[in-house]
Amino acid sequence: MGCQHLEELYELWLLGALSGQSSVDLREHLERGCPHCLARVRDATETVYILDLGSKPLRPPARVKAELLRQISRKATPHR
Amino acid sequence: MSMEIPSEELLERIAAQDVAALGELYDRYAPRVYGLIKHMLSSDDVAEELLQDVFVRLWGESLSLSREGGSVVAWLVVTAREVAVERLRALRAKVLSAALQGPGAVVRKEMLGPAKSKAAVLRSSAVIFTTKPLDGKSAAMKPDPADRPGTPWPSAFPSAWLPHTKEIALINDRLVLLHKAIDQLPKSQRQALELAVFGGLSESEIATAMGEPLAKAQRSLRAAVTFVKHRRRAVCGTWAANI
Repeated sequence: MGCQHLEELYELWLLGALSGQSSVDLREHLERGCPHCLARVRDATETVYILDLGSKPLRPPARVKAELLRQISRKATPHR
Repeated sequence: MSMEIPSEELLERIAAQDVAALGELYDRYAPRVYGLIKHMLSSDDVAEELLQDVFVRLWGESLSLSREGGSVVAWLVVTAREVAVERLRALRAKVLSAALQGPGAVVRKEMLGPAKSKAAVLRSSAVIFTTKPLDGKSAAMKPDPADRPGTPWPSAFPSAWLPHTKEIALINDRLVLLHKAIDQLPKSQRQALELAVFGGLSESEIATAMGEPLAKAQRSLRAAVTFVKHRRRAVCGTWAANI
């Protein structure tokens, strides 16, 4: 699979908006380590990051952090 | 004046099993992650559960992330959207299933057809169900059986795909400007973009939600994404890939 026709697909793929087969094709192509596409996926991630931050930051309730840290503490091995 | 500990340093400490460092990174980025998830899913309970999930994943991935580099906040945000999209799809599938099993008001009978059994409908996905896009209005949804937008990456977002910290810092500095540019998009492009970004819809689902042919919805979405990409490159000037 060549790369040129993928130019406008990276962001859509990262968003999860591509249809199943196109998504699979792109992923398989990347897994073969195409350096051309790797640089573009990194570039596309920046665009998707901007889009994702279109939502307003929202402070979660304090108990969520407490629950998270309790959960993590159970997973943690003793701190060296 | 106290200096903020760099996120990468906190990540190294997290990789060394430092729970307090995770708490510090959480304080720094949880509002962004939670804001995104809550915007996509609305439910407080689900958003809180997924917020924890993202940071549990970070704990599990911290060693490889720390070794391979890349922006921590970018990883958190793209992982948040991944878990949110997965949950949205599961919820939609549940709605679809419930609609087919009972007298669900969300099923439009005219879509079923007199000769079709519910099982046949399920196979063909010839059912409309509702979702809640950003504008708060309900939108008709028609799942396309050939369109199964899967998660693009296996379990964790690969570090090699992450932008560098300095690039994300530049974006963060200019985020207001970039979002103002997005506000300038034509209405149809903006709607398609929002359905993809916050509705977690595929191109064909967006076409159905907007009541437009697939090709038209694709053009709107792709034009919007291309516009944002070009604005980002113009505003941040970070595009440095070898072409």
